[in-house]
Amino acid sequence: MSNRISQQHARLMFDQSECRYYFGPDHPLNPRRIQALMDLLACGGLWDSADERTRLDGRAATLDELGLVHTPEYIAAVQRLSEPETQTANERRSSSAQAVSKEEPETQTANEQRSSSAQAVSKEEPEPEGLSEEERREREELALRYGFGEGDTPASPGLHEASARIAGGTLVAMSAVMGLPEGGVFASEDERPLHIFHPAGGLHHAWSDRASGFCVYNDVAIAIAHVLQASEAKVLYIDFDAHHGDGVQRAFYDDPRVMTVSFHETGRYLFPGTGDVLEMGRGSGYGYSVNIPLEPFTEDDSYSEAMDALLSQLVTAFAPDILITQHGCDTHAWDPLTHLSLTMTGILAQMKAAHQLAHTYCNGRWVALGGGGYDLYRVVPRAWSLLWAEMSDQQAPAEMPEEWVQRWQPEWLATQAQDVAVQQVMGNVVPPISFPTTFMDRAQDFPPRPRRWPISRTNRHTVGLVRHLLVPGSVRQAFPSPRTRSPLAGLFDLLHMNKASTPSRSKTLDTSAGSLLLRDFCPPSLVERLRPDSGLKAFARLPEREHHLLLNIAKSPDCALTLAHTTTGEIVGEVTIAPADEWWEGIDNLYEVAIQVSTNWRRMGIARNMLAFSLELDALEDMILFAIGLSWHWDTEGARISVYRYREMMVRLFASQGFAEYPTTEPNVSMEPANVLLARIGKRVDQRAASQFLSRLLNSSNLAHF
Amino acid sequence: MIVRDIMATKLVTIEPDATLAHAVALLKQHRFHHLPVVRPVQLPTSTDDVHGKSRNGLTFEGLLTTTDIDLVAALARQHPAQGQQPWQERRVVEVMHRALIRVTPTTSVAAAAQILVERGLNYLPVVEYSHLEQGSQALLVGLVTRSDLLMAFARAMGTFEPGMRLDIELPMGSSVPLARTLLLAAELHVPIRSIMAAPLVGGVPSSAALRLGTINPGPLLLRLQEEGIHYSFGSSLVEGNGHV
Repeated sequence: MSNRISQQHARLMFDQSECRYYFGPDHPLNPRRIQALMDLLACGGLWDSADERTRLDGRAATLDELGLVHTPEYIAAVQRLSEPETQTANERRSSSAQAVSKEEPETQTANEQRSSSAQAVSKEEPEPEGLSEEERREREELALRYGFGEGDTPASPGLHEASARIAGGTLVAMSAVMGLPEGGVFASEDERPLHIFHPAGGLHHAWSDRASGFCVYNDVAIAIAHVLQASEAKVLYIDFDAHHGDGVQRAFYDDPRVMTVSFHETGRYLFPGTGDVLEMGRGSGYGYSVNIPLEPFTEDDSYSEAMDALLSQLVTAFAPDILITQHGCDTHAWDPLTHLSLTMTGILAQMKAAHQLAHTYCNGRWVALGGGGYDLYRVVPRAWSLLWAEMSDQQAPAEMPEEWVQRWQPEWLATQAQDVAVQQVMGNVVPPISFPTTFMDRAQDFPPRPRRWPISRTNRHTVGLVRHLLVPGSVRQAFPSPRTRSPLAGLFDLLHMNKASTPSRSKTLDTSAGSLLLRDFCPPSLVERLRPDSGLKAFARLPEREHHLLLNIAKSPDCALTLAHTTTGEIVGEVTIAPADEWWEGIDNLYEVAIQVSTNWRRMGIARNMLAFSLELDALEDMILFAIGLSWHWDTEGARISVYRYREMMVRLFASQGFAEYPTTEPNVSMEPANVLLARIGKRVDQRAASQFLSRLLNSSNLAHF
Repeated sequence: MIVRDIMATKLVTIEPDATLAHAVALLKQHRFHHLPVVRPVQLPTSTDDVHGKSRNGLTFEGLLTTTDIDLVAALARQHPAQGQQPWQERRVVEVMHRALIRVTPTTSVAAAAQILVERGLNYLPVVEYSHLEQGSQALLVGLVTRSDLLMAFARAMGTFEPGMRLDIELPMGSSVPLARTLLLAAELHVPIRSIMAAPLVGGVPSSAALRLGTINPGPLLLRLQEEGIHYSFGSSLVEGNGHV
């Protein structure tokens, strides 16, 4: 293969036994897709199953490990429902204390079909006999109670073993990347894999006590729970599947150590119906569940735009130790179960984004999983081969290997008529009836969607709302969104209308811990020379990242940055003034103020002095300034006070500069009684702009749009 | 659905002889706006009670709301009379109102909702009538508030179950397409989480909204198409290829 530079840092986990996760030949989730993938990797020379340097072996998860996420009753039910049928009722009674019943009739027929089909994974399953009425009923009740009763996720023999194997695989993969004991022993730290791909994983719909949407054990949640238990790490989970990652979100909905980010087709119509922007977490986990519901028929450009606008900012604010991604490729236009309309270009963009995030923020620690993907032969093998190539820094060839196409095209042809019919009833455009021979898609197979513009516009609104609700103010200011309409004037001009003073002023402030220098309009060159104090981490959680943010703010022509630093060059506080974000669009001269002081320099009046200094502006009375205090960003632990005391402190701080508290229906502020919006409307502000601002405060109509 | 299915049964209550100060403390602590006023009572053992133990009950005396207390407090401030008892020390029974609009656990949720809307109330006490020594008494068994109704509504729509939404067109209000869809769903083992087919105008429903517990609607949609049942898997989704 072309290049194998850092391939030893990436490993792939696959075991034939994972293909026993199988619900019958007519079921959309068919392990043939994994077999097609493995064959493509082999034919393309991308992965050699015999090479131990690029392979990682998994194992089945233990009952205790499954119990990290699932209830004991549920696990027992899965075990009972997947008892092999070869045992007679008496043998089973003796082997297990609990009475067990036989397979229900529906799955019998499925089994018969299965053994008659030419599947490589077929198992020997003799006809069940001697079902007592009582046993059958008990079994049906169990199935109904735990989500196996009907349709999507039927109970079948060996299901527990296959699911536990997949869950164990993801757990081992995450442990290996994190350097935990369960991940196995490596000869040296250099041999420890940085990236692991586990294509059979990603069963993100399973609940703690319920099978749902083809998923039995939630391998993602189990692996994350194991890492949380065994280390102090913070975990970032990004879900690219077209369906909302509801099971993982549920498992960590109130846990601030796990941020779940899900990009999916809106749940207005699609399963599972959840994943609204306003599902943001609960309790101390508030702000750590992120959902980006995209319009049906979203295409590559709009999808990439949403990713670019959000991922770096969210990750900067969270500062994870490890990245785990779910790469369900049912986002592809040809997928029969959803309406998203990506091509390989958009899917590759997901993988590249994940790869970059892993290296920028997680020291490269990255576990990638499979997931959905129901165009078994044309999409899944190609998409996940590209993922493995991306992880292992290999270049996938342009053309698909001839022998692979020869082998798999007939199998696709056999199912193709059914696919076309399903695509049509789902309301999708019927895809061209051709088998791809290149890894990337050909543009002519994907004519533009008729409603492209309104779809992109709605997605842009959704992204704006997510940014507004979930990205802390100063992080948001460091990643300015491209403006369609520039503000009335450059901030600098507005702030220095008489042009008399020098651009950057400075002032000395004496505190009990030494004297500080205050500087406003700090240029990037100054910020580069300074270092952040160790306690400066309110927004980006790590001082180095905070420094990076400050640099970005200094570079932005629209932002004004005021710093307080020691004589030895340590930044201990900052005030930023930047144009208000998209939410406030249309109101002139409106600026958001954000402030923070290092935890090591609290209670010295620095905040008050810094704020006063940064607001000594000629144009002050021409501006509307506001600050938003969100209790979940407050360092109440460091300050050792309750959120309500913290709120009072903020109100007093800003009141010293003429800010007053305003009631508002702005969604973030109104979500918690401790949150507060403080504003100062300058004396010379146009009446119209002021009343526009006041009515926007109490007008939540923007929300109704979503 | 009846009131028993949705009412709150863990209640914070107050006794008639308690002071208003106590009531204010309770209301503040729980951030409530109303407190049921009750008197504990021993219920006679019923003949079919195997254990023969006497049960405790609460007779419903009335309701105390924040508005009632505000009024008393405001009056006291307006007419400060010498030597008069401060309002905080007055008894609940002097201030409460009798709350004669009540429902029983078997009242239908629809009827309870209608009462709430028509009377402009936020809550309804749920009582059972029982024959005690002093005659017929109302025993408080629960409380239904507007938020209980909202939760019941959300649950009835299947909001808390993973699922997808499918709209079935009902031409001329005919329920035949809906019935056939349900039969097909049962045949294909597609679980139904919720069915809503309420008339919006003219007393006739024009469509039914189903919530289906499946990630894979393809097989059902194929059968619907075969049988000529008009559906929409999201009206905004259909790009002019003929459904509804």
